Amino acid sequence: MSRAVAIVGSGPSGCYLAQALLKAAPELRVDLIDRLPVPYGLVRYGVAADHQGTKGIVRQFERLFERQGAGFVGNVAVGEDVSLAALREAYDAVVLAAGLSGDRALGIPGEDLEGVHRAGRLTRALYEHPDAEPLPELGPRVVIMGNGNVAIDILRLLAKTPAELAGSDLGAGPSAWLAGSAIEEIDIVGRSPAAEAKFDAVMVKELAKLEGVTIRVIGAGASDDPEATKKIAALEMLDGHATGARRITFRFGLTPVELLGEGGRVGEARFRDSAGATVALCCSAFLTAIGFEAEGLLLREELIGSAADREAGVIEPGLYATGWFRRGPRGTIPDNRADAQLLAARILADLDARGDAPEKPGRSAFPDWRSIVDYDGWKRIDAAETAAAPQDRCRAKIPTRETMLALALHREELPQ
Amino acid sequence: MNIILLYGTETGNAEMLAEDIMVELEGEHTVECRSLSDFDPGEFDAGRLHMIVCSTYGDGELPASAQPFAEALKASAPSLSGIHFAIFGLGDSEYEETFNFGSKGLAELLAAYGAAQIGERVTHDASGSDMAEDLAFPWAARIVALAEEKIGEIA
Ligand SMILES: Cc1cc2nc3c(=O)[nH]c(=O)nc-3n(C[C@H](O)[C@H](O)[C@H](O)COP(=O)(O)OP(=O)(O)OC[C@H]3O[C@@H](n4cnc5c(N)ncnc54)[C@H](O)[C@@H]3O)c2cc1C
Ligand SMILES: Cc1cc2nc3c(=O)[nH]c(=O)nc-3n(C[C@H](O)[C@H](O)[C@H](O)COP(=O)(O)O)c2cc1C
Repeated sequence: MSRAVAIVGSGPSGCYLAQALLKAAPELRVDLIDRLPVPYGLVRYGVAADHQGTKGIVRQFERLFERQGAGFVGNVAVGEDVSLAALREAYDAVVLAAGLSGDRALGIPGEDLEGVHRAGRLTRALYEHPDAEPLPELGPRVVIMGNGNVAIDILRLLAKTPAELAGSDLGAGPSAWLAGSAIEEIDIVGRSPAAEAKFDAVMVKELAKLEGVTIRVIGAGASDDPEATKKIAALEMLDGHATGARRITFRFGLTPVELLGEGGRVGEARFRDSAGATVALCCSAFLTAIGFEAEGLLLREELIGSAADREAGVIEPGLYATGWFRRGPRGTIPDNRADAQLLAARILADLDARGDAPEKPGRSAFPDWRSIVDYDGWKRIDAAETAAAPQDRCRAKIPTRETMLALALHREELPQ
Repeated sequence: MNIILLYGTETGNAEMLAEDIMVELEGEHTVECRSLSDFDPGEFDAGRLHMIVCSTYGDGELPASAQPFAEALKASAPSLSGIHFAIFGLGDSEYEETFNFGSKGLAELLAAYGAAQIGERVTHDASGSDMAEDLAFPWAARIVALAEEKIGEIA
C-alpha cells in the first residue's frame, strides 16, 4: 500500500514533515505543493541574507527530493489553482504547512501614513520575493518598533556597511539600496522592558561586530530570571559600542500611541512610557516588526478554530496543520522540526488505521498541472542563481516569477 | 568493530551527518545510529566505540536534544573509565567566541567522568565552504583505525 500525502507549503515545516514521514515510511508518495516556483519558504525569504549558516538545512531538504522521493509541485497555489477540497479528494492525507505571511498591524492612528512599513513586506523586498513591493525610501531617521529577532535582523541589515555583507545572498538591487541609504539614526523600541524582549541574547551579541555604528542602550533594567539576565547583560555589553557614525539607540517600555505626519508622510512617533509620560521620536520612516498573521488563500482562522485537536495538528480526519500555520507566528526552525516529527507519527498512525481502504491517486489526479515547476525545474533556477553570483555573494536570486518560470519550464524536449 | 553513532541536533544537520557516517562504515562494521536524547548514560559499553556528532546552540550551549543526556550524566556521575569516544562538532564561525563549544563541552564532560577520547575533535563551520561529510568521512576513517588499536582486543 502506498498512500499519497500532500503537504501545502515547502517551508521548513513542510520539508521536515516530509522528511520524517519518508524516513519512517519510504513507500509513501509525498508531494510538497508551493504557490511559489521555488521551495523552502522563509529559509529563502525570511532567514537573513547574512545568516547563510542557518540556511544550511537546505542540504537536508535537497536529500528529501533527491533521495527520499518527495515531489516538488511549485507554482501551484492551493485555494486558487486547486481547491483544498480537490486536494483532499485526491490524497489520503493533506497537511497545511503554509506559514503566516501577513504582517500584524499595530492598531494606532497614523499607521497608514507614508513611510510606515511592516517587517514582512520589507524583508520580502530585501530578499527579492517575487511578490514583493519596491524597496521604500527611508530617509535619515528610522524607528523600528518591535523586540523580536526579526526586528534585530532589520536593524543589523540597515546598520551594516557594504563590506559587512560579503558572503551573503543579498541581491544587487537591495545591496545598492542599502549602500545608498542616508540613514543617520536608528531607534529600536520595545513595548516591554528588556527583560521581556523576545529576541535572543546571541542576536544582540552579534551587533557588537558592527563596524559603522555608535550604540546606546537606554533603560535595560534588571531581572532575576536567568534568560532575561543574559539578554540584559548582552545589551549592557553593547552600550557604548562605537565604531562609526550611524547612531543606534535601544529603548524599552514604550507603548506606541500615534504616528504624526505632514503632507501624508510620517514625521514623529509618540509613545507612552511606564510612568504615563509622552515620549516623542522624530522619524522619516517607522518600521513595525511585531509579528505575523494569516493572509491569503486558506481560511486559517476557520480551519484552525474548528480543529478537532489543535495541539496535535489534527483539523479533521485526513486534514492536518503544522508549523506557523498551526501554532501561530512563534518559534524558530528547530521548533518546526519538533512539531513536524510529532505530527508525522500521528499521520502514519492514522494512515495505518485506514487498513485496506483503497489508496488515492495523488498527483496523477491533476493532469492539468501543466505549468508546475518540479524539483528539476527548481534546480535549473538554483543553478542559474548560483552561477550568476558576483564575487562577494553566494547567490544572485532571480527576483521575478516570469524569469523563474522561463528557466524552470524550459525543457529541451518540449519546444513551445 | 561495534560502533554506536550518537547525535545531538536541533535542525537536523548532525542527524543527517551521523546517518551518512553510518552508511560509510556499515560495510565493514556493526553500526547503530541514535539520538543522544534516546541514549542513557548507563548504556556506555567498553566494547564499543562511541562516535558523537553534535552541534552548538544558544551561546555555546548544547543543542536541545543533547541537554537531557548531559543532565542525566551529571546527575548519575558514572565512572566512564574504559569507555572510548570520539567527537565531531557542527557549528558556525559567525558565533566566533563560542565556535563549536557544544562538542567541546560535551567532550570535556565525558572526559571528566573518565572516558577516553580517541583522535582529535574535528569541527565543521556552517559559514565555511567545506561540506560536513568531506571533513567527517576522513575523520571517521582515522578514528576507526585508531580505535581498532585501542579497543580491538576487547570488541
Ligand atoms: C523575517 C524572518 C526571519 C526569520 N529568521 C529566522 C532565523 O534566523 N532562524 C530561525 O530558526 N527562524 C527564523 N524565522 C522563523 C522561521 O522562518 C519560521 O519558524 C519558519 O519558516 C516557519 O516555517 P513554515 O514552514 O511553517 O512557514 P514558511 O517558511 O512561511 O513556509 C510556508 C510556505 O507555504 C507556501 N504557501 C503559503 N500559502 C500557500 C498556498 N495557498 N498554496 C501553496 N503554498 C502556499 C509559501 O509560499 C511558503 O513557501 C524567521 C522568520 C521571519 C519572518
Ligand atoms: C540560534 C543559534 C545559535 C547558534 N550558536 C552557535 C554557537 O554558539 N557556536 C557555534 O559554533 N555554532 C552555533 N550555531 C550554529 C549551529 O551549530 C550550526 O548551524 C549547525 O550546523 C546546526 O546543526 P544541527 O542542525 O545539527 O543542530 C548556532 C545556530 C543558531 C541557529
